[in-house]
Amino acid sequence: MKTDFKLSSKMHLFIIISCVIIALGVAVGTICQFVANGYFNYGFDWSDYKCVTVSYTCVDFSDEKEVRKICDEAFASDGLKYYNCAYGDVTGDIVGGEFTFKFGKSVNDEKLASAVEKINAKIQSGASVHTVEGLKGNTKALWRGAVAIASVMAAHFIYFAIRYKLTMALGALLADVHNLAVFVSLLSLARIPVGSAIITFAVLTVLVTAVGTCFLFDRVRKNCKDENASKLSAFDLTDKSASESFKVNLFVPVVLCTVAVLLFVLMSISAMSVFTVLSPVLCALACFVSCAYGTLFFTPAVYSRFKLIGDDYKLKHARAKKEKLSK
Amino acid sequence: MNKVKSAIITTLLIVAIAVLALFSTVSFPIVGNDAETLSSFISNIHLGSDLTGEAYSMLYPDGVISSADYENGVKINADDGKFKDNYSARGGVYVRKDKLENEEEFKASIIADAKVLNERFGRKGYSSYSVALEDGGFAIKVSVPTNYTFGEYINFVKYNEVPSSRSLINYTIQYFMLDGELSFRNSSTYEGSKSVLPSVNDKASDCFKDINLYSVAGNYFVRMIFTKEGLEKITSVVDADNKAYMFIGEHYLNDFDITVETLENVRNNTLSLAPSAGKSVAEDYATLFNTVINGKTLVNEYNGNPANSSNGIVSVTPALGSYAAIYLFVTLLAALAAVIIYSIIKYKKLGLVHTLMVLSYALSLICAVMLIEIQVTVAGAFTALLGLALLSFSNFRVFEAVRAESALGRTIQASVKSGYKKTLWTVLDLHIIMLVAALMFTLIGVGEVASCGLIFFISVIASYVLYWFTRFMWYVISSPVKDKFKFCGYKREAYDED
Repeated sequence: MKTDFKLSSKMHLFIIISCVIIALGVAVGTICQFVANGYFNYGFDWSDYKCVTVSYTCVDFSDEKEVRKICDEAFASDGLKYYNCAYGDVTGDIVGGEFTFKFGKSVNDEKLASAVEKINAKIQSGASVHTVEGLKGNTKALWRGAVAIASVMAAHFIYFAIRYKLTMALGALLADVHNLAVFVSLLSLARIPVGSAIITFAVLTVLVTAVGTCFLFDRVRKNCKDENASKLSAFDLTDKSASESFKVNLFVPVVLCTVAVLLFVLMSISAMSVFTVLSPVLCALACFVSCAYGTLFFTPAVYSRFKLIGDDYKLKHARAKKEKLSK
Repeated sequence: MNKVKSAIITTLLIVAIAVLALFSTVSFPIVGNDAETLSSFISNIHLGSDLTGEAYSMLYPDGVISSADYENGVKINADDGKFKDNYSARGGVYVRKDKLENEEEFKASIIADAKVLNERFGRKGYSSYSVALEDGGFAIKVSVPTNYTFGEYINFVKYNEVPSSRSLINYTIQYFMLDGELSFRNSSTYEGSKSVLPSVNDKASDCFKDINLYSVAGNYFVRMIFTKEGLEKITSVVDADNKAYMFIGEHYLNDFDITVETLENVRNNTLSLAPSAGKSVAEDYATLFNTVINGKTLVNEYNGNPANSSNGIVSVTPALGSYAAIYLFVTLLAALAAVIIYSIIKYKKLGLVHTLMVLSYALSLICAVMLIEIQVTVAGAFTALLGLALLSFSNFRVFEAVRAESALGRTIQASVKSGYKKTLWTVLDLHIIMLVAALMFTLIGVGEVASCGLIFFISVIASYVLYWFTRFMWYVISSPVKDKFKFCGYKREAYDED
């Protein structure tokens, strides 16, 4: 596998690609904020929706499949298509079951009412239409997660500044911010249904990025100490290090992507629906793709400039010191 | 190390792994007790709502009933037309007409209650939950993860056995929907009782500085920190004949009677009381009291209307399908198998040493997740995989470093020593950064982020310990082998005599 890419010379290209992705993500998100359902395409666990709940007692129906068949027929006759069906058993005063069929917010009320009437004609316990709005989900988890991510990024920077070099610490911080921004932009741009898992995948983005930067900057550090490699220019040394860490940096996201795809196939079979599985799997793919792109291409390319500036500064500083001593 | 020692240590490790693997994956019947089985470790792991579904409950404020209850009410009160005339339809619910006189204000009070409920449920640390307004804001829907273990869930799906943990969800919802202010009264019955505090202007909430959850040696308490004045007021009204009974609104809380005996246990203005039903209930009470003393009380009474039958909990199938947990387990096994096959192909018998470490990693993670009762979600599984990648990278990195050293003509022993020395800081730096990140996610994050952080924290520690254990087992297993290069899948370099 060819890994000796001249990444440093393509810095502008990667910056343009990243900027375009982020700008498009922000633009699409902002437009959708005003004309569609929000900055992100909120999944069914966060968005407003309409639902039909169908309750039945065990006395009337012993098999829930029978109830579902009646409901499916009623919805089909009115041309309605639900995107999620959840079945639950009821405990308490009524012993039986309850189906919740979720529909989009824009579904026609009259058609829903007609379907409910048909269901009620066959199931005594009754069906009813509900509107669910403004899910006040786990907002605390969101802001605490965001604070945790910011803290990890700061710790990542500080550790690299102490153990590696300031330029590498800046590179690591840039990688974190960049990969996170690309991840968020991909979600907004591709209109991937976003749910409560977004913060967890943002956490995974930071973790995978941290692993990737460790591999990359460890190679840079080793090459800087190597007698032959240290004589290379900042660009060549970065390219060499990026090439050496390319396979291992590709390995982690590719393995996680493969697992995500495998999960998608298996869960689709399990859920008997692609839509409900799509959201977490696409979130995972966006996370790993942004990590792979950011760590393999963007970070080494931009870091080469940081190194160049750092090396120049060091050289000037050394010269000035030398001149001072000679005077 | 001689052959015998090597064989004994290797056998011991393999037996330990095999026994642990057996207990982790297989449930056994208990001898002499046919009714019960010793559940496998995996079946004792708690799963998140994406794998076992969620439980939800509808909360209807006083004056609001569901359409089904309305239809029932109309049937029951067919002779008396008042019932029918008293209610008016709003979306999928019926609202009593007196509540509609000031409809906007009524709706605003429900929205305010939803915010308080959101705060209360938010403090429970669920991996996911939601508090939603339904039917134009006249009802509240609360959804929380079922927190079933894998075994409980499978029994529930297969045999419809309702796990006991569902009653804990019921308790939580019942406690959190208690409305009204905190008060100390002179009787356990609200009717006819009065506040025991000296002045009518005294508020029970003002007697406390803080109320929180406190645990010692596995016992959970509700810790009440009184203000100095608050404690004095309560002490002044409690004696051998008079207790102070604690109420939230009109609801008596029987675990929290303030007596002379309980006041004797006050240290530094702090009193710790243990509810009879364990951690979850203590947490519920602590959250309820804390929100109430901070002014976050519910205005409306929920599900108290006799016409309202909606006091049950509905646990629904997970969005990822009924058998999502099994499919996730299969995926993780496939990933584990892939790592094992790759390592054996590339490093021959040394790959087997790595295989032992991978299996130890998986088993240690299963045991830790089960013992600490971490809720596993799909994202948590990805975090565990990242930990596996960390272990594999550390080992493969050192294997390659040893290969490079041996290519220079060194013996395997010398190469191993040099290889580990060269990769020491790379691996250590990687693990330190990951450990710090995991710790921050665990301590700062809540819900799913915190559980993922905890899983990763355990993964990183396991990875680093097993990284060094690999060296030990490499030495132990390869000691009796004559051709150590062949053992590791390395090629010995041929050198000219020059």
